[in-house]
Amino acid sequence: MRRPFLSAALIAASLFLAVPAGAVPPGVGECMDCHGDKTIEMSLPGGQTVSLYIDLQAYRSSVHGGGSCVTCHADASAPHEKLKKVSCDKCHGDAGKSYAGSAHGKLRAKGITDVPGCDGCHGKHDIRRPKDPVARTFRLNIAATCLRCHKDRALEPRYQHLPDQKLLAAYEQSVHGMASKKSGLLGSAVCVDCHGNHAILPGDQPRSATHRQKIPTMCGKCHPGILDQYERSVHGKGMRAGIAESPVCTDCHGEHTIAKIGDPSSSVSPRNIPKTCSGCHDEEGISTRYALPKKRFSSYMDSFHGIAVEYGMTKAANCSSCHGVHDILPSSDPASTVHKANIPKTCGKCHPNAGPNFAKGAVHVEVSPKKAMGVFAVRLFYTIFITALVILFVLHVGLDLYGRWDRKRSGAPGGKERKP
Amino acid sequence: MSRADLAAGKVIRMSLPFRVQHLLLAILLTVLAVTGFALMYHENSLAQWLIRMEGGVHNRGIVHRIAAVLLMANLVHHVFYMLFSREGKPELRQLFITKRDIDDFLQSLRYNLGTATEYPPFGRYGYKEKFQYWGAAAGIVLISLTGLMLWGEEFSMRLFPKFVLDLAIIIHGYQGLLAFLVLFLWHLYNVHLHPSVFPMNPSWITGKVSVEWLREEHPLEYEKLKEEGVL
Repeated sequence: MRRPFLSAALIAASLFLAVPAGAVPPGVGECMDCHGDKTIEMSLPGGQTVSLYIDLQAYRSSVHGGGSCVTCHADASAPHEKLKKVSCDKCHGDAGKSYAGSAHGKLRAKGITDVPGCDGCHGKHDIRRPKDPVARTFRLNIAATCLRCHKDRALEPRYQHLPDQKLLAAYEQSVHGMASKKSGLLGSAVCVDCHGNHAILPGDQPRSATHRQKIPTMCGKCHPGILDQYERSVHGKGMRAGIAESPVCTDCHGEHTIAKIGDPSSSVSPRNIPKTCSGCHDEEGISTRYALPKKRFSSYMDSFHGIAVEYGMTKAANCSSCHGVHDILPSSDPASTVHKANIPKTCGKCHPNAGPNFAKGAVHVEVSPKKAMGVFAVRLFYTIFITALVILFVLHVGLDLYGRWDRKRSGAPGGKERKP
Repeated sequence: MSRADLAAGKVIRMSLPFRVQHLLLAILLTVLAVTGFALMYHENSLAQWLIRMEGGVHNRGIVHRIAAVLLMANLVHHVFYMLFSREGKPELRQLFITKRDIDDFLQSLRYNLGTATEYPPFGRYGYKEKFQYWGAAAGIVLISLTGLMLWGEEFSMRLFPKFVLDLAIIIHGYQGLLAFLVLFLWHLYNVHLHPSVFPMNPSWITGKVSVEWLREEHPLEYEKLKEEGVL
């Protein structure tokens, strides 16, 4: 449908352009007289050569394929010397402006050439619309496009603040990476969904799309139900109140490495969740600053739940089984799953007959006189009792042996010298 | 006691029913200790290895519970045997701790220190055996009760608040440790390493001890058997 229209337009255009004589810009056909030759090359000062061949077919199928070479190469004549750099800004001003403020754009403005310009991601003569499945910027191809540079380990030492290459490559194995690469799902997050495209900036800059404060909203674009729960949780409220230490999505789930809960490598898998939560909750500074209860990790790991999970019995309760996931609330909140009044119901998820007695006593048993006097006293009693008993045994045995040795030394017949 | 035994200078000290009970007790306590301590000291690398050998934390629990049920059955059988059987009733009577045992204990200390001239003569059971017996009995009862509470935790918590179960788990573990240490330091010394029996008192397998050993270690029992005309 498009082709007849394009050809008609071309014919019309060539008719109009052909009339006024003078500096006639070359048509595509004239350019192809030279650039259609597969052997055409240019020598660089370093001795390498660059092919100047243009694949006409690829150009004609590109989004710009209906135009003419001179639209971008305005200074071209036939034949010509080295042409000026092509600027896309003339037509794509907004993208150009965004790009200029990006990490890539700023470096390029400094004259560094191995960061991508427009062509780095979009290509040159073969640019396609992002909706076109063969476009470099098609959703399913974006990861490959970005990783072409960001997987290159040689790049890492050259630029400071560049994230770990391994981490970036891990995206391909992540739940998002697998969904787009393996399952071919368009809805899965690709690089640009989180980082933005032209205006891409490192996460530590406030204007970056991946800045901490923006992460929940960013993930919420695709996970709105979860965002809604998170906003009402103690973590979400803390984050919105500007507490930088309050966790955002990536603190628990990771970034490029995000995996399904069922994946053993996931930071939120039943086995890893205690470690993930205690990254903050076992941290002296954080628990002191926000008056959080202490020893949550060790008291859990010493409980039967903790031991069972540690040894792979993942149906045993982990942190989130009781405290919730995105909707975590402090136990003082009556809506919290671990509020005293709700404990029987929460325990009842796994222990069907749980009654009010489940709430009488601490779940995280912290053995100290203040927190669990009974357990502390019984343990102290046994420790003293066992120690004393062992000492008495050893003394008794020692005395027994000493008596024998003493009698033997003093000439008595060995053993017990009892009169018959 | 057969003539052949007497001719060989042997006398029966543990009858077959007691040997079976004792052997079961020894095997079951070992299984319970290995599976129990693996859980109690789960941070220790040896314990972690044990849990893996036991087929993970879930299978470990199954093995522990099977052994526990058998041990409790053994205990119940023993109680009935001691209370009602012809052999058990007089045994039980001789196991009661009396003031005499305390005096014996003190005298043995004085004797070894060199301030008493005579070692206390024991009957069928001396203070060492009686202490061992009642200590083990009390320990097994306590550890069985707390173990049952923990096994049926949902049922237990219908009756008791959670902190009672916290106590139960501590008592269960430490009582196990206590039993283990008593067996290793006290019982194994008395029946293996003690100079009068080294390397082993064979009665737990053969049921028999030498008449000579009986005369040395349990002289009152020896004299009683003589009076009864058994020897």
